[in-house]
Amino acid sequence: MSPFRTGLVHTPVTPFTRERRIDYDRYGELIEFHIVNGADALALPMHAGESVSLPDAERRALLEFAIKRVNGRKPVIAHVSETGTGIAAALARHAEAAGATAIVATTPYYWTPPPAMVLEHFVEIGAAVTIPMLVYNAPEEMQGTRVTADLCRKLIGRLPNFVGVVDLSLDWQFMIELMTDAPRLRDGFQLLAGTELLVSPAAIGATGLFAPLAGITPRLVRALYEMCRDQKLFEARMAQEELAALRQALKPAGVAGIKAAMRAMGRDCGELRPPLLPLDPAAYQRLVGELDAIRALREEPRGW
Amino acid sequence: MASKFRGVMQSPVTPLKDDFSLDLLTFERLLDFHVRTGATAISWPHHKGESLNLTIPERKRFAEAAVRVVNGRIPVTIHVSALAVEDTMELARHAQEIGADGILAITPYFWTPSLEAIHAYFVRLCRSIELPVLSYNSPSYLAGVEITGDLMSRLIDELPNFAGVKEASFNSEKFLEISRAALAKRPDFAMLTGVEYLLPSVPLGGVGSYSAAGSICPNLCSQLFDACIAGDWPRARELQAKVSWLWLLFRDQYPSSLKGGMVMMGRPVGPTRAPLPTATKERQAYVYNELGRLGILDTEPHGW
Repeated sequence: MSPFRTGLVHTPVTPFTRERRIDYDRYGELIEFHIVNGADALALPMHAGESVSLPDAERRALLEFAIKRVNGRKPVIAHVSETGTGIAAALARHAEAAGATAIVATTPYYWTPPPAMVLEHFVEIGAAVTIPMLVYNAPEEMQGTRVTADLCRKLIGRLPNFVGVVDLSLDWQFMIELMTDAPRLRDGFQLLAGTELLVSPAAIGATGLFAPLAGITPRLVRALYEMCRDQKLFEARMAQEELAALRQALKPAGVAGIKAAMRAMGRDCGELRPPLLPLDPAAYQRLVGELDAIRALREEPRGW
Repeated sequence: MASKFRGVMQSPVTPLKDDFSLDLLTFERLLDFHVRTGATAISWPHHKGESLNLTIPERKRFAEAAVRVVNGRIPVTIHVSALAVEDTMELARHAQEIGADGILAITPYFWTPSLEAIHAYFVRLCRSIELPVLSYNSPSYLAGVEITGDLMSRLIDELPNFAGVKEASFNSEKFLEISRAALAKRPDFAMLTGVEYLLPSVPLGGVGSYSAAGSICPNLCSQLFDACIAGDWPRARELQAKVSWLWLLFRDQYPSSLKGGMVMMGRPVGPTRAPLPTATKERQAYVYNELGRLGILDTEPHGW
């Protein structure tokens, strides 16, 4: 399998109308924004894109729309995570048929399965396709279910198309262990940071980034990514601290925080789907105040 | 001015005789070994030194020995964390009286104190002495109790001798939360990690670490620090991978396995106090094989 290097991956939100239907006009606009503002690839719909709030048919339609709109200009990575292994595998097959370049999948939702079950889950999803598969490690989002270096060793043995891990555990020991073993077992194995905390992973060997904040601060995210890619790690510290500050300001509100910040930057992506609630006006004003204090945001594009 | 607490600082284990009493002669040899093999500071008794299995009079006796033997060649800090805060206060006063260069103190044990209680604790401790105080953040061992970035900034504002932190979350987000807050207020604040996690922390403003494996592989520790400070990331990656493998080896029944490994390096330091087990002959043999596999037996000093 020819190695697919992801580089800097933007993870667009999913715009919803007032009636909470997918706002495809806005989504098209958003995809254009990401393409011209530094994305090497797109991954969608990630959790920031409210993937779990999209029924199956809508999720497939959204992916097809995105791939058509991108029209080969950038690789599209399809997010196929699901609770049931068979449902996730069906999404994976659909993604390949729709023209996705790769797939990415988390551990199963809800079940908090032991390692042997997690392994079989990933194997069945990966075996459903011939395109590359990334595994997403996010123990904080998945009630503690994590991807271990040992699991990855086994997955490499079972899946020829398992090419890397997107890490949101932020756990140094895991990343060091993974990058000591996996690249020896699989040529071109990649570690990607799952959020804009990239300097430490890049020191350890990460070569890619899934960037949920790229719709808000595409220039700063690109600058951080390029310095890390070029291993200018001391130089990257200031950009890293700015992005850590932004992440810390937005994190408590989750996707509502990301959508609020996009609105503050002049890129309104509409409503959230239940059960997520929007920020109330006072919280929104507080957030705008916090964003104003982050100097780097002044250099970022406003509007579309 | 740069902090004097930097580089790979060694925290000696506590040598015991076969009857589990303190072995002063071997402790003196061990201190001297660390000073001669490149330790940038000595800190005793960490958890690795079985601090909580020692009586307060024992801790004072060996603290005095540490200051006497090191004799100003490198800084000596005393770890004063104890189950009873009143004991901590007494150990801190004692450390100052005997001429130590600083103290290290974790957030209080057992009670899962609130942020206000942690604040009150460090204020009282720092105001009771003139020595520099290094704090110690270890949420995974203390039921999630941790020092936040906001609390760090407050403590730095209020306490001129609040000089650094041993950050033992081993996680990019937590390290950055604290380093951003602390270094903005006090540029020479010592951002240190536990174990030897230098590769992910030095590019973020880290200036050193305590050491898990330094009594086995002092050369490896110094080489890793030098590579990180020089920004030689490919070499640092290779060395960090080795150090992290050693951490996996010793983390199991820490510090019993470490003491077992020291036997194999020709530096026996006796048993470990209950409830910790003492490494069996089989465990020692396993450790010996692993050290051989990693090349440690060829590159690191044997004997005292």
